[in-house]
Amino acid sequence: MISKDKLKLIVTACFITLLATSSPAIATQPHGDPEGVVIHQFSHVFFIFSMGILIYWLRNRELDRQPGWREIKYSAFFLILWSAVAFVAHLLDEQLAWVITSRVDSFTMLVETTRGGPVLAWFYYIAKLDHLLCVPGLFFLYRGLARLSDFEEKKVEGGGA
Amino acid sequence: MTITWVPIIFVDVAGAFLMIVFSILSIRHAWRLIRKDPENLVWTYLLWLAVGLAGFAISRSAGHILKQVLFVSGYDPVWEHIRPVSGSLNTMLLIVVAAVTLFFNRAWHIYQGVFAERKALQGTQSELMRLNETLENRVQERTAALLIHEKRMAQTDRLASIGQLSSGIAHELNNPLGVIQGYTQLLLRGEEPASQKHQDLQVILKHARNCKTIVDDLLNFARHSKPEKTEINIHDVIDDVLIFIKHRGKMEKIRIETRFDENVVPMSMDDKKIKQVLINLLMNARHAVGEDGAIVISTAYEPEVRQIKVSVADNGYGIDAKNLVRIFDPFFTTKSTGEGTGLGLAVSYGIIKNHGGEIQVSSKPGKGAVFTVILPVNPAKDTLMAS
Ligand SMILES: Nc1ncnc2c1ncn2[C@@H]1O[C@H](COP(=O)(O)OP(=O)(O)OP(=O)(O)O)[C@@H](O)[C@H]1O
Ligand SMILES: [Mg+2]
Repeated sequence: MISKDKLKLIVTACFITLLATSSPAIATQPHGDPEGVVIHQFSHVFFIFSMGILIYWLRNRELDRQPGWREIKYSAFFLILWSAVAFVAHLLDEQLAWVITSRVDSFTMLVETTRGGPVLAWFYYIAKLDHLLCVPGLFFLYRGLARLSDFEEKKVEGGGA
Repeated sequence: MTITWVPIIFVDVAGAFLMIVFSILSIRHAWRLIRKDPENLVWTYLLWLAVGLAGFAISRSAGHILKQVLFVSGYDPVWEHIRPVSGSLNTMLLIVVAAVTLFFNRAWHIYQGVFAERKALQGTQSELMRLNETLENRVQERTAALLIHEKRMAQTDRLASIGQLSSGIAHELNNPLGVIQGYTQLLLRGEEPASQKHQDLQVILKHARNCKTIVDDLLNFARHSKPEKTEINIHDVIDDVLIFIKHRGKMEKIRIETRFDENVVPMSMDDKKIKQVLINLLMNARHAVGEDGAIVISTAYEPEVRQIKVSVADNGYGIDAKNLVRIFDPFFTTKSTGEGTGLGLAVSYGIIKNHGGEIQVSSKPGKGAVFTVILPVNPAKDTLMAS
């Protein structure tokens, strides 16, 4: 597939350029520059907003009642949840610094909280399992697209016959 | 609190791997869609969405996997070099996906507008084509109607001139025939009933009478005498005719069906003459169907034009196209001498004309014929208005 190759090329090129130009951060400092965190948080909010618009559009056109589009709606829904959780996690550790994590050894870590106590620590710990939300998001995207393309294929065949 | 990394590491690595797999599968299917219909805006968007999310998934997941590997192997400081790059790339791709989604939403509105306009244009075009077609059809219809009308006019003309001629002849023959009849009757009185002469005179008288009926028929065809009209329901007339016909026999095997329109109103007509017409039509139909066939008599009232239609349909041998224009001519017949004189339809035609009506025929040779008598409900008024 051409697009995949192109994409790989672009991603690698970006990696190399950025690696070469970025100055190494101080090893013990877990936060990036504040602008970096803020823009990343913005991107999460923007992303939530756009997925919300997508769901609105699907409902408005009543596409979400058709198979394929329904899965794409679920996908947008999970991605919104994921983005919100990721946003909160970034907020807690990088922006507000209410939660500070450090490594004890290869398999244990220390979660300290400046506020909120162990409840917040547990909440943060669970929020860190955000893949449990974004993997279903992508899974539904894949299912939706697969059903849509199967449907279109059948339609073309049916029309051709 | 101190807690194990293991679930986070596990979910991170497995989740990252699954994200890459699903996003690449998504691109594949989006690609299949766009290949079907490259100009479809929705598919284009879905491809961008899939590619954007895949880029995000790959950059993020590769980062996460790498991070966990580095942490577990104790090289976490290296992660701090990669982290800003991976993070920025994630940020950027997330923004790309969001921007594409918003842009798509706007583009969709515009696309809808263009689409609607195109639809409207197509609609107008097909409407124009349809109008054009109906116009052509209408011209054709009118031309065909004109042709039929012309033919009918020609036939009326011809029948009128034949009528003049035959009425002249009939008139001239009428007096001598009367004289022949009178003298024969006179001579008969002076003869013995059993004598040869008496018998010969009877033969002369019989043939003179035959001639007289023919001459009367001819006069009926040509004469524009006012019919003696009474107000009567056509259904009663038809019933009388059917009783009369059945009494004359030879109709046992022929199925005669009537389909009467309940809405038919009584109308003024010369019922004796109309009966004669119906008998003529039924006798012709009986001859056409042979021993075993079906005849359908139906009536219909058309209030808009105030007309009553009576049709006699049979499934007999039908009429050849070349004969169709001649069947109303006096003495036109396809039957052998003795079976028909060719006056039935000519007389019927004259009677219906005198009623201000019309008689039409349509036939498929071999399949049968339909004769339709159209009578105006208020002929007196109509003729008054016309004159
Ligand atoms: N129902 C019919 N089916 C087929 N041919 C018919 C029918 N009615 C009339 N015709 C044709 O029209 C011709 C003229 O009919 P018309 O009734 O004027 O004369 P005729 O039946 O031949 O003689 P007659 O004077 O005894 O009625 C017929 O000879 C026949 O060929
Ligand atoms: Mg006849």
